[in-house]
Amino acid sequence: MAEARVFDERTLRRLEQVMLWSQRARAGAMKGERRSIRRGTSIEFADYRDYAYGDDLRRLDWNVYARLQRPYIKLLEDEEDLALHILIDASVSMDWPAGDADAERNKFRHAQRLAAGLAWCALASNDRTQVHGVSGAGSATFGPHRGRGHNLRLLDFIAGLQPAGEVDLDAVLREQALRGARPGLFVLISDMYTPVNLTDALNELAAAGHELLLLHLLSPEELEPPLAGDLRLIDVESGGAREVSIDGNLRERYAQRLDAWRAQLRRTLLQRGGHYLFVNTDTPWERVILRDLRGLGIVR
Amino acid sequence: MQLLTPLALAGALLALPILLLYMLRLRRQELEVPSIMLWQQLLQDTEANTPWQRLRRNLLLLLQLLILAALVLALARPFIVVPAAGSGQIVLLLDASASMNASDVEGGSRFRAAQDEARAAVSALGANDRVTLIRVAEQPQLLLAASNDRLALQVAIDNARPGLGSADWPAALTLAMGGMAQSDDFSLVIISDGGLGDPTLLPELPDNVTWLPVGSAGDNLAITALATRRRAGQPAQLFTRVTNHGARDAEVVLSLKVDGELVASAYHEVEAGADLPLVVEALPASFRRIEASLTIPVASEIPDHLELDNQAWALVEGGSGSRVLLFTPGNRFIEEVLRSLPGVEAFRGDLSAGLPREAYDLTILDRWQPERLPVGDLLFINPQRGNALFTLGEEQEFAQDIHVTPGDARTRFVDLDDVSVQRWTPVDAPWAQTLIEADGSPLLLAGEVDGRQVAIFTFDVHRSDLALQIAWPVLMANLLDWFAPPGLLSARDSLAVGDALQLRPPPDAGGLRVRLPDGSLQELSLARRPLLFADTQQQGIYTIEVLEGGNVTRSQSFAVNLFDAAESDILPRELLFFGQSSLAPGAREEEGQLEFWPWVALLALMVLLLEWVVYQRRRAGLTLRPRRP
Repeated sequence: MAEARVFDERTLRRLEQVMLWSQRARAGAMKGERRSIRRGTSIEFADYRDYAYGDDLRRLDWNVYARLQRPYIKLLEDEEDLALHILIDASVSMDWPAGDADAERNKFRHAQRLAAGLAWCALASNDRTQVHGVSGAGSATFGPHRGRGHNLRLLDFIAGLQPAGEVDLDAVLREQALRGARPGLFVLISDMYTPVNLTDALNELAAAGHELLLLHLLSPEELEPPLAGDLRLIDVESGGAREVSIDGNLRERYAQRLDAWRAQLRRTLLQRGGHYLFVNTDTPWERVILRDLRGLGIVR
Repeated sequence: MQLLTPLALAGALLALPILLLYMLRLRRQELEVPSIMLWQQLLQDTEANTPWQRLRRNLLLLLQLLILAALVLALARPFIVVPAAGSGQIVLLLDASASMNASDVEGGSRFRAAQDEARAAVSALGANDRVTLIRVAEQPQLLLAASNDRLALQVAIDNARPGLGSADWPAALTLAMGGMAQSDDFSLVIISDGGLGDPTLLPELPDNVTWLPVGSAGDNLAITALATRRRAGQPAQLFTRVTNHGARDAEVVLSLKVDGELVASAYHEVEAGADLPLVVEALPASFRRIEASLTIPVASEIPDHLELDNQAWALVEGGSGSRVLLFTPGNRFIEEVLRSLPGVEAFRGDLSAGLPREAYDLTILDRWQPERLPVGDLLFINPQRGNALFTLGEEQEFAQDIHVTPGDARTRFVDLDDVSVQRWTPVDAPWAQTLIEADGSPLLLAGEVDGRQVAIFTFDVHRSDLALQIAWPVLMANLLDWFAPPGLLSARDSLAVGDALQLRPPPDAGGLRVRLPDGSLQELSLARRPLLFADTQQQGIYTIEVLEGGNVTRSQSFAVNLFDAAESDILPRELLFFGQSSLAPGAREEEGQLEFWPWVALLALMVLLLEWVVYQRRRAGLTLRPRRP
C-alpha cells in the first residue's frame, strides 16, 4: 500500500468537518442520543395509554385527567446509545489500485477513511463503537469504546491496519454473529470479492439483531478495466490465473456482469432489512458519509 | 490453374509456427488484477455458449492463415493458359504512323486500340517469353529490348504516342528481324491497320508472324497536295488537291487562309475514292504563306475519321531561293547548271518580249542584251556590245596561258589547266576584278558597280571546252553563291513529317534557332557540322532564325505536311503484303500464360487490412465506450 499517511492533515480536517456537520444536522432532531424502540423515562413525550392497575401513578397525566375525567398514562421516549460495529475487509484485493499515483483511489485507504469517519461520529455521539480489521494475517479490534476521548486511539488503530492475504468473509461474519455482541448497526466495508455465497452469514447477523450496512467499494479500474487483447489475468489475492482474450464484446459483457452482481448484493441486503451502498473510490469519502449515508438515513 | 514456381508452396509451412504460437499462446501478457472472480464467471458463460464464440476468438488466427495462404499462392505465380499472339522471343511492332490517329474505333484512336492489343499480348506472356517493343513511326523506335518485365512493358506501351507522319516499315522490319538470327524461338507480332506502304520495299517475312489488325472504317477526306507557283508578271497560283478515301461521295468545305486571313471558303463535292484537283487564281499580289483546311459540313453524314490530313501549309514558291532570269538564244550548259544548283529558281526570259516588269535577283544575259539594263545583279556571257558598265575590245583567238586568280572564293576549286578558249572579246571594266586571265586579258571579271554585282564572261561557252569540264559547275556555283548567298536551307520548301534537313547558317551567325509550329523555340548548336534538323514531328510552318547579338538578322521558313496517300488512305487492309507474300489477320494460335498473382497478392493485402481492423476493434472496443455510471 502507498506510504502516504492515511490520516493526513487534510483528511483530519475533513473528519472534523464531518463531525461538525453531523452534529449540526442532529441539533434540530435529538440531543446527542439515539431513540430506542422501548418506551422509557426520558422527558420526551411519546404517546398515551389507558391506566391499568399497578401503573406508576407518577406517570399519570393529571392535566388530561382533569379535563377528560379519565386516567391516562403518559408514555415517554426511552433513550439509549447506539452500538456501532465496523468490519473492514483487509484482504489484499482491497489494496487496489496499487501505487502512489493511485493512492487516493485505493480501496483500502478509502475503507480506512470511511470507517474512521463513521467511528469518529459515533464516538462523538457517545455511541458504543467497535471497529474490526480482518486480514489474512489475522484480525484486530478496537473498542468497544464511547466518547471523544478515544478519537486519537481510533485513528491510530485504523491507520495501523495493513491489507494482507486472503480473507474468508463468510467465516468472519458468522463469527461476528456468534460473538453475541450487542445488537446495533453492523457496517461491512469490503469489495466483496469472495467466491462463497454470504447469504447465510448475513442471515445470521440479521438474526442476531444487527442492522446491516454494506459499503461495497470498487475502484474505477474495476468498473471499466483498461484491458485488451490476449491476457493472462492473475488474482492478487488467491494467485489464481485465467487466460482471457478481451475485446469490446467481452468488456461489454463484463460491465453487464458487474451490474448484475451489484444488483444481487443490494437485493440480498434489502431482503434482510439492511442497506447497500455502492462506493466508487473516485467519490470523496466524506461525500459518501454526508450525502449517500444521509440519504439512506444512517447518518442524520 | 497451374503454377510457375510450385516450390513456393513450401512457404505454407509457415502456418505451423503461426499455429504453434497460437497454441502456446506465447503472446499472452500477464497482468495482476484484484480478482478474477467476475472474469471467471464471464468465461464460464462464454464457453457454455455456441462454438461460434470460440471461432470468434480465433478469427485473427483464421485471417492470418488466409493471408499466408494468399501470399504463398501469389509467390507460386499461378497462371491460366490463354491463347497468345506469340511466344519465345517476341518482337512487338506497334504501328505509330499518322493513320493510327484515326478515330474509327470505339473508345478513342486506332493507336489506343493497338495499345490495348499490345497490353493483352504482354499480359499473356509466358514465363520465359521476352518481348522487344518497337514503335514504328517516322523512324523505328526501340522502346524496350528483350524484356520479361511486364510492368516495364506495360509502362512502355502506356507511354507510347502515335506519330504524325509515315511509318518507316522497311527499317522497322529489318530491325525486328535482326533478332531472328540470334534465336530459334522467334515470333513477330505486328499491330497495325495495315498501311505498310510499298510492299516491294518490305523484306520477306518468316512464317511465325502474326498480324493483329486495328481499325474498322476507311472514311477519310484529306488534303493531299498544296503548292503555289509564281508566274512571271502575274499573281501567284495555288494548286491543291482534296482526296476522298472513303467509299461514299462526300461534301467538304475547303478554306484558304493567306498570311492568317481567310480569303476563300468554298463548298466541294468529292466522289468516292477520287481526287478533286483545284487551282486557285484569285490570290493577293504578294503574300508569304497559305494555310488550307478541310471541314465537313455539319449536315454531312459521311464521317472523317482522320483529322491530321485536314490541314496543309504552303509557302510562296521561291520564298527561299534566289530567282534567276535567263535570256539566251539557247545555252544548254547554263540551263543544266541552273537546274542542278540547289536554292536557285531559274526562269527563262523571252528575247522578243524583252524585260519583264518583275524584278529578279540575277539576270543572265547570254549573247544578248536589252536596250536598258535590268535592275538587280547581272551576269554577262560573251556580250555583243558595250554598255554603261563596260566597253568591248577586239576579238581575240586561241587563248593560251589561262590562269585563275588565286585566293578568291569565286574561283575556289576551279582548275582550268586543260581548258581552252577558242575566241574571246576583251572587256574593259575598271570597277571589275579579273578572275580568269589569258594572255594578259580577262576571260572572267566580277565586281560591284552602282550598288549591284556584275560578272562578265568574255567568251562564248560554246566556243570553249570549259562547259565540258568539271570546273564549269564549280565555277558557276561559286559565282551564284557570290551573287546571292545561299539560303539557310538545303531542302525544298515543303517537307514531310519526320524528314530531316540540313541547315546552312552563315559563317558569321551568332546563334541559330527554329521556331516550331506550336510556337516553341528550339536552340541549335552551331558547333556541329553538318547541322541537321530532324525534329519535324509537327505539321505546320517552321521558321529558322539566325541570331546576331540577340537579334534575328535573317529568317527562312519551310512547311511540313503529311501529304501521304498511304497514311490518308485509312481503310483497314484485309491482307498485308511483304514482297511476294501476303499475311492475313492472325488468330492467336500460340499458348500464353496469364498470370494472376497480383490479384492474389491484392487479396492478401485486403485480408491484412481486415485483420488489422479486427485487431484494432478488439483493442479499442471498450476504451471508446462512454464510462458507465
